Amino acid sequence: MRLGFSVKVIGQAGLKEHDSRRWQNNPHLSVSLAYLRDIFEYLRREGIAMYRMSSELAPYLTHPELSQFHGQLDDCAAELAAMGQLAREIGLRLSCHPSQYVVLNAPDEALAAKSALELATQAELLDRMGLDDEAVVVVHVGGIYEGREQARQRFVAAFEQLPEPARRRLALENDDTRFGVADTLWIHQQTGVRLVFDNLHHHCFNPQRMPLREALAACLATWPAGVRPKVHFSSPRTEMRIAEQQDPATGRRVQLLQPPLWTRHSDYIHPFEFIAFLREAAGLPPFDVMLEAKAKDLALLRLREDVQRYAPELAGGIW
Amino acid sequence: MSDHTDWPGREIGNQPEWTDQGDANRGHDEDAPVLVAVINNGRDLARARDEGWYRIPLKRAPRRVAAEYLAFYQTGAFGDQGCAINYYAPVRRFHLLTRAELLPNEADHPRARDPYYKIELGPLQPLPRPVPSRALRRIAFIPTTLRRLLAAREINDLWQRDDPQERLWLALREAGLLVEYRYQVSQPDGEAAVDFALFCRDGQIAVLCDDMASQEGALRERRPADYELTAAGWTVLRFSRSELEAELPRCAGAVIATVQQLGGQGGGVMRNE
Repeated sequence: MRLGFSVKVIGQAGLKEHDSRRWQNNPHLSVSLAYLRDIFEYLRREGIAMYRMSSELAPYLTHPELSQFHGQLDDCAAELAAMGQLAREIGLRLSCHPSQYVVLNAPDEALAAKSALELATQAELLDRMGLDDEAVVVVHVGGIYEGREQARQRFVAAFEQLPEPARRRLALENDDTRFGVADTLWIHQQTGVRLVFDNLHHHCFNPQRMPLREALAACLATWPAGVRPKVHFSSPRTEMRIAEQQDPATGRRVQLLQPPLWTRHSDYIHPFEFIAFLREAAGLPPFDVMLEAKAKDLALLRLREDVQRYAPELAGGIW
Repeated sequence: MSDHTDWPGREIGNQPEWTDQGDANRGHDEDAPVLVAVINNGRDLARARDEGWYRIPLKRAPRRVAAEYLAFYQTGAFGDQGCAINYYAPVRRFHLLTRAELLPNEADHPRARDPYYKIELGPLQPLPRPVPSRALRRIAFIPTTLRRLLAAREINDLWQRDDPQERLWLALREAGLLVEYRYQVSQPDGEAAVDFALFCRDGQIAVLCDDMASQEGALRERRPADYELTAAGWTVLRFSRSELEAELPRCAGAVIATVQQLGGQGGGVMRNE
């Protein structure tokens, strides 16, 4: 089982995840790929075998008014292939997870079309890196809008309209407030899209009361033979939150303490939750785990140590 | 130093390149990553200046090669302009090429098939003030930020330090000490780094700061053991992060006292390993 983390590296200062310069300063995919090379070398040194890349590697690639950026995938063909080669050398599993502004099932046709274009370019980027079928573009279903049934159906229709590389690369994740595993399974039955099981989301939104092992097994079964599934794992943040409000009497901003929201991610992974999850999953097909924790790679490295300490019988199969 | 604005060939502006590109582009990211690279001959500097590119062999690339600016440390081969950083330039693009593709006139070179980064650059800019290497030490690549580069008085100002280290560094500088940051020391099984090195009339001091955040992850590079340093003639001072945070004056005082015990720094005479 490979453990991975997403985008930002915390364990080594100064590693950026993409070229974030504004368009006026001519950011470029090739500079992002150089940043990615530095991150890959860090992952190699730390023995980390799974990583979620920034979805902003190619700056302004799909911006309708900045056509000077549209040719970057062609322009960087050699560099993309080289980064893919480096990932294969290291044994890295890669993925990306476009931002919440990508909403494939949006009733607004312009937004849906823009989302489809974004997914197509992400898929093309993975293809140009020469990555295998384990490299996926993970999305959520999107919004409910006028109703769950129509929203799910609209996702299916939009999926069918995607170009082949995007359909091949897409993976669908259950979310924490709108579309649970029952919904993603329904969409899988219509489209064949692979499903990413998100542990925390399933705890937060599971109106069918589907047992965790059953939901996990169903999602794992959506992946084709020979392609290792991946799941997302995170622990809920338990601290009090500080919220700012305006005092109507004085007009001043005041800070209020509020109870936590269980949908928020903690800094580190709760080791006992993770170990319990692994025990629950015993006997199911093997899968990889993308950790979603605010301490990123530090959380991953700590979790390895924790599993070794608290469940050494499980540690051998995790890296 | 020679006049930075008096270059032949490609024009070198006196203003940063972004200032003439419209209102939206005024100002710049002071935290933008900068890679300081070494140039040891006039031909490579001319390429950067006139043709707008610099090369780094992938095999010898530093851990952090990506940056939004390159700055150039010119070695002693440049005479008056040598042993200092005088220019920097914005990075436009990274190309991956073989050496033969990069330098077709040298197709018979033994490393002709090796991969190189060709880094395309914008116009070279003179720094507001050159950044000299006071100790004439061996310089390799230095990752830093635009803010540090533009404010640096000497090479040691370029490295990014964790806050407690930074405070110790400033305290020692305010005490008038000459301190080398991240000094490489030779060990039987390779090189290792000490955080601060101070060279005194009657000895040398290695200061090691433990438990810094930057030692997480890949920065957990080889750290010399106290006995190894002592055997090599160093006086070792080691401080933990919590000591530096809670008792900075005591830590700085310990370094200053040790310098005095070793006869002072002799008017800033530095030594190279």
